[in-house]
Amino acid sequence: MALKVALTGNPNVGKTSLYNRVTRSFEHVGNWHGVTVGSIEKTVTYEGREVTVTDLPGMYSLSVYSFEESIARDRVISGYDDVVVNICEVNNLVRNMYLTLQLVELGAPIVVVVNMMDELKKQGKILDSSRIERELGVRVIPMSAKFKTDSEKFMSEVCKFASSEKSKPALPYLSKLPLSKIESIISENLSRSGLKKDWACLKVLEKDEFVIEKLALSRNQKEELSKVGDYSGRIAQLRYEYIDYLTDGAITFGLDASKKSRNENGLCSIDRLVLNKYVALPLFLFFMAAIFVVTFGFVGKWLSDLFELFISVCIGNPFTSWLSRVGAPKWVIAFIGDGIINGVGGILVFLPQVVLLFFFLALLEDSGYISRVAFMTDGLFRKIGLSGRSVFTMLMGFGCSATALLTARGLEDENTRKKTVLLTPFMSCSARLPVYSAIAGAFFLAGRPLIVFAMYVLGAVVAIAVAAIMERGKKFKSGKLSFIMEMPPYRMPTFERVFQIIASNAKVYIIRVGTVIFAFNVIIWLLSYFSFTQGFVADGSGSLLHTVAGVLAPCFAPLGFGNWRAVTSLLSGLVAKEIVISSIASLGGAEAIFAGEYARAAALSFMTFTLLYTPCIATLGAMKKEIGLKYMVFGLFLQLGVAYIISLVVYWIGVLIIISKPSAWIVALIAVGFILIVALIFGVRRVIKSGCGTCGECNRICAKRNRK
Amino acid sequence: MTLNDAQTQKTYTISDIGGFGNERRRLLDMGFTPETKVNVLTRAPFGGTVLVSLRNFIVALREDAASLVVLKGRA
Repeated sequence: MALKVALTGNPNVGKTSLYNRVTRSFEHVGNWHGVTVGSIEKTVTYEGREVTVTDLPGMYSLSVYSFEESIARDRVISGYDDVVVNICEVNNLVRNMYLTLQLVELGAPIVVVVNMMDELKKQGKILDSSRIERELGVRVIPMSAKFKTDSEKFMSEVCKFASSEKSKPALPYLSKLPLSKIESIISENLSRSGLKKDWACLKVLEKDEFVIEKLALSRNQKEELSKVGDYSGRIAQLRYEYIDYLTDGAITFGLDASKKSRNENGLCSIDRLVLNKYVALPLFLFFMAAIFVVTFGFVGKWLSDLFELFISVCIGNPFTSWLSRVGAPKWVIAFIGDGIINGVGGILVFLPQVVLLFFFLALLEDSGYISRVAFMTDGLFRKIGLSGRSVFTMLMGFGCSATALLTARGLEDENTRKKTVLLTPFMSCSARLPVYSAIAGAFFLAGRPLIVFAMYVLGAVVAIAVAAIMERGKKFKSGKLSFIMEMPPYRMPTFERVFQIIASNAKVYIIRVGTVIFAFNVIIWLLSYFSFTQGFVADGSGSLLHTVAGVLAPCFAPLGFGNWRAVTSLLSGLVAKEIVISSIASLGGAEAIFAGEYARAAALSFMTFTLLYTPCIATLGAMKKEIGLKYMVFGLFLQLGVAYIISLVVYWIGVLIIISKPSAWIVALIAVGFILIVALIFGVRRVIKSGCGTCGECNRICAKRNRK
Repeated sequence: MTLNDAQTQKTYTISDIGGFGNERRRLLDMGFTPETKVNVLTRAPFGGTVLVSLRNFIVALREDAASLVVLKGRA
């Protein structure tokens, strides 16, 4: 039987880093709270012994607040694991040990890991854990998950612990609580519930809803319990007092410590700048703009161009010319040249830009800056019924919508979470980038970077505007939100980590292009050049797709692209949005699809539609998993509806601009922008005014929620 | 007074935590227990949220949560 080891601890203490190190995995890590939202496990062999390591989401306490925390809690109290590893962070030992004490109270077979010892060493401090080990009767392993040698040590200690005798240590503060009184009240329910006796009594005294529900107490018992009084504050205080006693003098300055002691209670100089009242927002916008300029502007663009040159010169041209030399059939040459090299290769060239984007997103996460963004935008986001924490999900949405949605689990308020999940797909994910870039390149030449940037801004603006509108309705009105979020210290990502981000994202991208996108492209190409009756048709008319997509095409005529090729690419884009552009390439290129007098307006409208409609099947799957089928369907129609309306507006503004004189359309554009801004401000102000407590109805809704 | 009325960059001692249910317990679990020293570092640029340091870590609280933290006055 494999040895079962679970990793638990407060959020952001490095559980997943340790997991990755021990199991040689590449699970997502970041320097903020709540990166891991589900449990993952892997079996490894250590010195001939099978060890199954499970990484759990972080939790502050065994009394939980969100869904992800309850996954960790349920696992720990089930007693399934042979060893429960409690990871603490040395910089924050006192707060971390609050969970340690609760695990000891539970009687879990725990080993304490004190992580990030390298950071302590840098401060010139040393840790003496002997008192903690002696008094608490647990094994304490100081280490840094960063270092390979430490993870070896960790595994050997865990295996050693697993085969040793375990005893439940006594916690002196428990005698100060009326636990026997509780036991006498709930004794008959205890055996039925399957909970541990001492622990259940303590949790009942703490008024833990989960345990009380599990015990299924009668009304009489509940009344008896309420007579005992409220001990939740007292218990927390006793625990912290005991931790203070345990850790007193545990961390001291070493002999070789440099004298520069850090101001422990003040803001560090970076925060003083980053969170400054006047500098904060401009600085954030500057960072975001810088990321876009580097990714889509000179660096990313240059790398992509180089890549494109390489593909066409070294692979594309020689291969097709060789094919025509050996006299291959016409359709084979067209298939390889247009379908594969132009279609798939056209997406592959975006590899450098996509990797760069993910690199910058990881930098935001790992440095700890993203938590500051959440803190400073919370005030604004709350006005539209979102939370500062929604920022995590939405920024991650620039990378991949489907994976970003999972990070919404940490949001405590149900409606805020739903809204965040519904709106994040509007943020332009990396798969949409090739679409804008290729179409804008074909129609707007010099204006390409500006158009691409405008698409990103439009996505964010639409998400915020829809949030504001939803907040005005009753259905999605956010409840009383509590926002308690820890600020991680700033950290420099290690070189190894940077390399890992680049390597793993490049790998994922290449696999995606090589499998799903390649396969779909082949299918689309074949379906669009072969007809039911005539076989190969060079211009595609009468082909299978022409017949099928042609039925839907008129619906898109008001948007300017009511032709079967555009509709086909949009439909195939549901598999993965990159396919939108690879289909266009294999169906004859953007210039052929958006023809006519208003081609530029149609191209813009098409880009807008691509930005806003349902990102892909994977995102729909993630939505279903996170908010249920009903809201997924709602989300699908919301996305299609919003995409249709905004694209319609974009197209007709574009047409008006083309018809009228340039000087007139600049005026018109400014007017429209002005109206939009006024409408937005008006909308937001209405939302603030209709805030909780000002109308009777709203109070009723709140009361309902509070009862729940 | 509560954490909402506290001046920034000054240290205070907690006297009690108000509220009930999950909200109150989360504050307690995070270490906002009576007799703990807290320091309001700064307020969010657009208001609504305060940044507090206690027990050697930093945490952001919304005003509604901050209003549950009752202070004794300057330490």
